[in-house]
Amino acid sequence: MKRLKFKKELCIGCQLCSQVCSAYKEGEYIPSKARIFIESYYDRGELKYDDSYCILCGRCAKACPADAIKMGDYIEVDADKCIGCGLCADACPKHVVRLRDDIAYICDTCKGDPNCVKTCPHNALTFE
Amino acid sequence: MKAKILKDKYEKQAADPKQTVMSAYQNAVLRINLTKKEATVEPLRMDFAEKYVGSKGLVIRYMYEELAPGIDPLGPENNLYLTTGPMSGTPIPCSGKLSVAAKSPATGTMNDCSIGGHAGIRIKFAGYDMIVFEGQLSEPGYIVIDDDRIEFCRADRFWGKGSHDTEAELIDEYGREFSCLSIGPAGENLSNMACINSDYYRQAGRGGIGAVMGSKKIKAVMIRGTKGVKVPNIEKTTDRILEILHESCLDEENEFVFDVGTYAFLEGCQEGGIMPYKNFSDTTDDNWEQYNDAAVLPYREGKRGCGSCGLGCGNFIKIGDAICEGPEYETTAVAGPNAGNTDPTKIVKFNQVCDNMGVDTISTGDTLVWAMEMTETGRYDFGIHWGEADKMCEYVEKLSRREEGFYADLANGVKYAAEKYGGFDIAMQVKGLEYPQYEPRGSWGMAMSYAVSDRGACHMRAYAPNEEVFAASVPPYTSEGKGQIVYNLGEFNAIKFSCCLCDLWGTVDYPIMAELLTLITGREWTEEEMGEVGRRVLNIGRAFNQREGFDRRHDTVPERVVRDKLTKGPAAGQVIPPAAFEDMLDQYYEIMGWNKDGTLPYELIRTLL
Repeated sequence: MKRLKFKKELCIGCQLCSQVCSAYKEGEYIPSKARIFIESYYDRGELKYDDSYCILCGRCAKACPADAIKMGDYIEVDADKCIGCGLCADACPKHVVRLRDDIAYICDTCKGDPNCVKTCPHNALTFE
Repeated sequence: MKAKILKDKYEKQAADPKQTVMSAYQNAVLRINLTKKEATVEPLRMDFAEKYVGSKGLVIRYMYEELAPGIDPLGPENNLYLTTGPMSGTPIPCSGKLSVAAKSPATGTMNDCSIGGHAGIRIKFAGYDMIVFEGQLSEPGYIVIDDDRIEFCRADRFWGKGSHDTEAELIDEYGREFSCLSIGPAGENLSNMACINSDYYRQAGRGGIGAVMGSKKIKAVMIRGTKGVKVPNIEKTTDRILEILHESCLDEENEFVFDVGTYAFLEGCQEGGIMPYKNFSDTTDDNWEQYNDAAVLPYREGKRGCGSCGLGCGNFIKIGDAICEGPEYETTAVAGPNAGNTDPTKIVKFNQVCDNMGVDTISTGDTLVWAMEMTETGRYDFGIHWGEADKMCEYVEKLSRREEGFYADLANGVKYAAEKYGGFDIAMQVKGLEYPQYEPRGSWGMAMSYAVSDRGACHMRAYAPNEEVFAASVPPYTSEGKGQIVYNLGEFNAIKFSCCLCDLWGTVDYPIMAELLTLITGREWTEEEMGEVGRRVLNIGRAFNQREGFDRRHDTVPERVVRDKLTKGPAAGQVIPPAAFEDMLDQYYEIMGWNKDGTLPYELIRTLL
């Protein structure tokens, strides 16, 4: 199974990944609703990274009490079944699952062809 | 509190046939009155946006409208503007720049600075095209802008602290979803060289913009935005933006930006004979390899760009306890060869101290290397000599705090200092803004570019060395044709910066800009229009300055450049004859349609409004 991989030494912290993710998924450029959150930042003389992206570990699917999350080559959320309990978000080790209006939003790797990877200018994100 | 939305102004805009609301803009200007502690939101002047696009051009048009002639730049009548462009917040590469503008205390001209980092896109995501700070706080404060919520907070605990120290504490408190724009002690103490910092190592550097923020007693602005930017046909638009990202922005011609950053210019300037040496008394340095990219990049710990970047010019360098993102070419040249220093660690340290104290490295560096020459030549003893880079750092701290004696005078920049202590002939500045690190005797067009720039000596307005030295497309040591070359370069950058695009996307052109603007705004923009907007932006800046009393008499060149021949490097023997300099001005004015005395005819001004 192909998964997203992140190499921080190639990341410039541009966040184009989040912008493009939100464009295709939400219909506007709105990184706060993206399904990937990667950033680099300075903190007191150190360059640090945060990398919230789906690693397809499947813990969200296992945690779901409503059988709303299907895990195949990518994750699919059935919005009709989702009860908005947030157990998937609690279980996510990468803190990438977000709840909005009682529905879980989870990366589906654009059904196996992730737009964030196509965007990443220095190939810090790959799908392999 | 929530900003009050001025509904009547929105109704008026809706009824105005001259104002069609374009996509990609938020159609919202947040106006914060610091004196009254009030915040309002009004529509963006779409008629301005159609003529000036965004960022640089748009804010100059607003300043022309709102800043009365003759106001005190450090008084409550001056406004501080944070202006995005239509491309801000979209994935168009290199569109993360924010224009920070006000009337300049250093020059008395209008002054728009371009800062990187993430603040620009976060302002857009907070729902605003522009934020205007009016009036002054009665006590030191910081402002929190969190989408619609505006908060005025006391900043007593930060006053006197370094810019980095302030940012670190505020981000701890508010979280990394916020961007911080802050000033250091130099801004608080109203230095003409004070800058504004963001993301630690990005600056709105020039013309004392940090002093304007200091005069308003704003220590910091915190911004978070969770809203979106809407464009037509978003999937197709994004597909095309990604094609342009990969085909143009990431073209191999721009690869040096990621690989080396602006260090790449060091070799070009050394080899081309335009790297200044010891306060521009000469050019080039035989020891340049001690502090070039090969010497410094082994200490690189990582790369970082701005929001929406694509290229990633920032080199995060750590040599012992000397830490900075950079140093960029300008800082390297001014604290290296121009100061008679060859130790890269000390260049990095100088950069670090300037950032934290909140001063522009170019202006501060030029002022200190002038003080070195004054001391060395016995004209005035400032107690600092060639190569004393440690002392430069010490002086940066003292001048930023305006310590008694000459430090307080040096804080006002080299023009002020030279008027007081002598040495005006070797004070490298135009209109009170210090020279960037390109020696014009090796690139004659640059002397004129510095002279006619809208904010004093600036290298970002029309980068003549690109044609005269690096590409060598025209002979550098002549005035012939330089009016047209500087005009073309200036027109191009004026529209590029009005789109809010970064200078370092070298392969962007008018067709790409017009296509991108058309895609995101839903209005048809043509290639020809790009040039027209650029020309208009150059003119509106000039018109603002004219109203402040500026004309040909102020388009000057430091005496040294038209008096002394260079003795080293490829440009050895070169000096710009005064008549050649005047000839370049004549050419430029004619192309711009200006009068011989450098003023704009009234009919021309009318077309700008």
